[in-house]
Amino acid sequence: MSMKAGGNRSKPGGGNTAGAAGTGGSGGGRQNLGRGRHSGKGPAAVIFNGVYANMRMVHVLTSVVGTKCELKVKNGAVYEGVFKTYGPECDLVLDAAHRKSPEPSIAPRKEDIVESIIFKASDVVVVTFKDVDLNFARKDNFTDAAVSGKINGEHKEKDLEPWDGGETHNSDSLESLDTDVSNGWDPNDMFKYNEEKYGVLSTYDSSLSTYTVPLERDNSEEFLKREARAAQLAEEIEGSATYKARVALENDERSEEEKYTAVMRGDRETHTLSRENKYIPPGQRSRETMSWGPGRQNPSRLAQSSAGPSAPRAGPHDYSPSAGADQRVVNGGPPRMSPKSQRTPRSHRAPPCRTTGGDFISHNAPGEVPVTPPTRSSSSGGTWSSVVSGAHRPRSPRQNNMGGASSGSSSLPAAQTGAAPVETVSTATSASSPNAASPAPNMVTSSSADAKECRVQETRQTSPTANKENIKPLDSSPSVTRPVCKGPPSMAPDHRKQIDNLKKFSVDFRLQSSSNSDPAFDPMMTKPPRDPADKPKDLPMDKASSVGREGPEDGVAGGAPAPSTTNASKPGSPAALSPSPSAPDQKRAGLDVASQGVQTNATSSFSGAKHEEKEEKKEAVHDQVRKSTLNPNAHEFKPRFNTQPKPANTPTPPRPQGQPSPSIVVQQPPAVYGQTVCFPQMYPLTPVSPGVQKSIIWKAPAMYQVQMPHMTVGQSKPYRPGKVPNMPQQRSEQHHPQGTATMMHPATAAGPPIVAQSPAYSAQYFTCSPQQFTNQPLVQQMTHYQSQAQHVFSPVMQGSARMMAPPTHGQPTLVSSSTTQYPEQTHTMYVSPGPMPQQYPHPNATLHPHQQHPQPSATPTGQGQQGGPQQHGVPQNHPAASPVQHSQHQQAAAAAAAQALHLANQPQQQQMYSALAPTPPSMTPGPNPQSPQASFPSAQQTVYIHPQQVQHGYNHNHMAHVQQAHMQSGLVQSHHPGQTHPTMMLMATQGPPGGPQQAMPQNALNPIPVSSTTHFSYLAHPQVQAHHQQQL
Amino acid sequence: MAAPGPGEYFSVGSHVSCLTCLGQRLQGEVVAFDYQSKMLTLKCASSSGKPNLNDVILINLAYVSDVDIINDRTETPPPLASLNVSKLANRARSEKEDKLSQAYAISAGVSVEGQQLFQTIHKTIKDCKWQEKNIIVMDDVVISPPYQVENCKGKEGSALSHVRKILLKLMDTAPPNSIFGKL
Repeated sequence: MSMKAGGNRSKPGGGNTAGAAGTGGSGGGRQNLGRGRHSGKGPAAVIFNGVYANMRMVHVLTSVVGTKCELKVKNGAVYEGVFKTYGPECDLVLDAAHRKSPEPSIAPRKEDIVESIIFKASDVVVVTFKDVDLNFARKDNFTDAAVSGKINGEHKEKDLEPWDGGETHNSDSLESLDTDVSNGWDPNDMFKYNEEKYGVLSTYDSSLSTYTVPLERDNSEEFLKREARAAQLAEEIEGSATYKARVALENDERSEEEKYTAVMRGDRETHTLSRENKYIPPGQRSRETMSWGPGRQNPSRLAQSSAGPSAPRAGPHDYSPSAGADQRVVNGGPPRMSPKSQRTPRSHRAPPCRTTGGDFISHNAPGEVPVTPPTRSSSSGGTWSSVVSGAHRPRSPRQNNMGGASSGSSSLPAAQTGAAPVETVSTATSASSPNAASPAPNMVTSSSADAKECRVQETRQTSPTANKENIKPLDSSPSVTRPVCKGPPSMAPDHRKQIDNLKKFSVDFRLQSSSNSDPAFDPMMTKPPRDPADKPKDLPMDKASSVGREGPEDGVAGGAPAPSTTNASKPGSPAALSPSPSAPDQKRAGLDVASQGVQTNATSSFSGAKHEEKEEKKEAVHDQVRKSTLNPNAHEFKPRFNTQPKPANTPTPPRPQGQPSPSIVVQQPPAVYGQTVCFPQMYPLTPVSPGVQKSIIWKAPAMYQVQMPHMTVGQSKPYRPGKVPNMPQQRSEQHHPQGTATMMHPATAAGPPIVAQSPAYSAQYFTCSPQQFTNQPLVQQMTHYQSQAQHVFSPVMQGSARMMAPPTHGQPTLVSSSTTQYPEQTHTMYVSPGPMPQQYPHPNATLHPHQQHPQPSATPTGQGQQGGPQQHGVPQNHPAASPVQHSQHQQAAAAAAAQALHLANQPQQQQMYSALAPTPPSMTPGPNPQSPQASFPSAQQTVYIHPQQVQHGYNHNHMAHVQQAHMQSGLVQSHHPGQTHPTMMLMATQGPPGGPQQAMPQNALNPIPVSSTTHFSYLAHPQVQAHHQQQL
Repeated sequence: MAAPGPGEYFSVGSHVSCLTCLGQRLQGEVVAFDYQSKMLTLKCASSSGKPNLNDVILINLAYVSDVDIINDRTETPPPLASLNVSKLANRARSEKEDKLSQAYAISAGVSVEGQQLFQTIHKTIKDCKWQEKNIIVMDDVVISPPYQVENCKGKEGSALSHVRKILLKLMDTAPPNSIFGKL
């Protein structure tokens, strides 16, 4: 029907349309319709005809699809159905349609409903869609238009009216709002208002008698007593560090940015004082308790970082303080700086400052010293302990500092107290470093010695004035440093010897060294160990060179100023050579002495003596380098140092810095921190550089060691049997280059503990950690290793090497080891974090710390190498390839399998380095010393990461290499080409250290730290300690 | 002859009133106008007074007289939103099924009360259908004539209780003369 109707109607419609279209004739109409429909349907898809061409019609009709509608046709009938669709001619289709009956209420019966009806447009009069939601099918339900269109209720947009506040009110009312200080209603007004308005009476009683009881004062004795007691308690509470720290936190006016984010570089140097002011709070905090830790860490880190510059540190004191200050400054980050880094730096610095072994001892004793004794028993115990203690000390120092601070820095004022503790810690670390140096006589000591020398020289140069001024209080430290230097020198000779021996019989040497070291260690915690193993070599090497020079100087400067420390350190070295002195010194001397000596030398002694010493040290270093490849490394180190402190170049640069810092230091004990932080850190580090460098190296070692330790431990154990030998070889090879220097270090650091200390250590190590033993054995096997081991780096390097080798040999073990390493790493990481913060504050410093670690290894070797190249031929001898790193690498290459492993490792490391390297280089560019360090830090960091990966060892090595490379590039550019080489050397040394490190790790984290400490007394120690602690 | 643009006759948005040949007065806002088919679409306020809804009227101007433009809007009409065709298709299908279902019930001789109940339940529960004269809700509840509360059977649960609630509600609101009202 509808169809027909539609058809009929369609004619008219069609006619209409046709007409509209301009077509005339009824027949035509039909045709048109047909055509129209046809065309409409056909083209519809492509060309929209009819209604389809009308967008709005299409839209509205489509949007009502599916709704019920009533459709009226011409005859008045009404159909109801669901609107289904429509055609181009506007034909409408209703589904389920039925003709609506006149009776509204009657529902359609099934029979009435037609499936669908098509209505011709011409038949339709009107179609009504009721209650349609035109937005039902809108897709853009979440557009502004869609959302605004769905507003419930009245959706009239409010008309916007311009606001007219009236001219009269403009200023007044607005200003009154801003200036109205009153904080709402006065309570009394509220009460009054409520009473008037609502008749509510407040029951408020200002005496609060409902809640409390008034205090009845009387003059009775009891009351007076209680009152006094209360006042006393209040005073105690308010006087407590904790309270102050908390109050300081609340009242700290520094912005979050200042505290945690801001990077203040210029300030360090330039605004040391001001920062000191800022720092002071942190310092106070740290002094009080925890804060120091961070501060210390920062300093340590800074120191580490500066360690590179260790030479600058020569004004160690300054640095340490400055480092602290920097850290603090950086700080917001002092806390972050993490005690470790700070500590280490401080330790480095501190040692110098502390000069007195007592302080160190005290610190050490509290934190690490106790440990050391046990450790002593353990192979590297001495070194470790020293290192660890150094590291631990840094941390513990913080804590210890709290307590020991007073003891620590007698010379240092209150500021020092804060710093002093740190320093003590640092001293401890330095001590450790000395120890490390002594243990790793060749590497560490030499490096340290060299570094120290460099530092000293630098310090002397730079710091002399500053140091003298500032240091005077610290003089003791200088003396100490000198002694330390002496220690190193003595070590240097030993190193040389060792190196030679090592070259001949690395294993035997190590063993011997260990044994030697042990005895030495026994007498002297750190030094003895070092002495035994390292001392012979290292001492000869470092000390020989350094001592030779330093010796005199030390004798002169050190002798007078830092008798205690010096003595200790010296004894230590002697102990190393000849255990004797050590015994008394062990704790203090052992760690403190050595470190202190070094540090002190760097720090205070400095200026004059230090410079001389430095020179001597340098010479010694050169000699060492010559003797052992270490020297080449030493060069690198110096660069690093230089870079950091500008040690290589350092001496001079450091001086400048050192001087400033020193002056600062002098001015304010607290300032010391600040000073140290600024230049002091830089310089102090540099001055300390010998130590610092060492420390740096150490740190790196520590880092390495830490990582390595894990790796090493796991790996070392598995590897030890067969692989170990290989490893050692590799190590030896790799390290050898570095080795000579590293060897020294290892001996001092890891090696010494293991080998030299071996008697005690060996037993201890074995007992303590098989791995260490294994490592030690390995190290020992590897004469180079020994040297390496001695070097903090060497330990690390060795560890890494081992790691490397282990991976190749048995990575499985690595996993376990890796785990252990991880802990260490974590520790290291932690340390680094601390350092990092510090570093940030003191970009260089921070970086340096980390870098230092890597660098340390590098530095140690580098120092040694540097020293060697410069003065020490012996160290280099070991390396044979004067280019310590290169030589190492080459050697590694030479060592077929081992080398392969190493190479592989190296590549990795290199990669790591490369990654890191970029930054480092950049870093280096800025402040050469720092930048190198920075690069190192990054490298180290990366290394750390790697270590975790198991490849850490490798990475370290690689890192070392990379760093070296970086260093070289950076250093060379910035400072000395030679330095670059040294860095390489350092890198190499690191590699060797890996073995030692592994051993160290095996022993326990401690061993590693020790080694690290030994190697890089300053930097390494802090980190190491941290690591050890963490691991522990 | 040139076909005049739609704007010449009715501009979208303008208000128009007209008288159909059947004597029905229509008035609304122009939504669309197709000149060729002479179809005019108006949008009016909802006859039920619901604010969000509209009545849409499709007028064949061929049967209309007295076309007055109450007011003409020259403003540009709002852009057209894209439509979800599948959604519309689903609506069409469901509407059709509902109507057929309803028709089935009626043809099946279900009482008005039953139909009312079904419609009421169907408002909130789409899953209901006729099975003979029984209302099946969610395949779970069966309501059989005479569609009292006690006639709701099924697994005890929220569905049954919910259906009963609807039933009681319907009885409360049902006119007194209805079965529910009597109950």
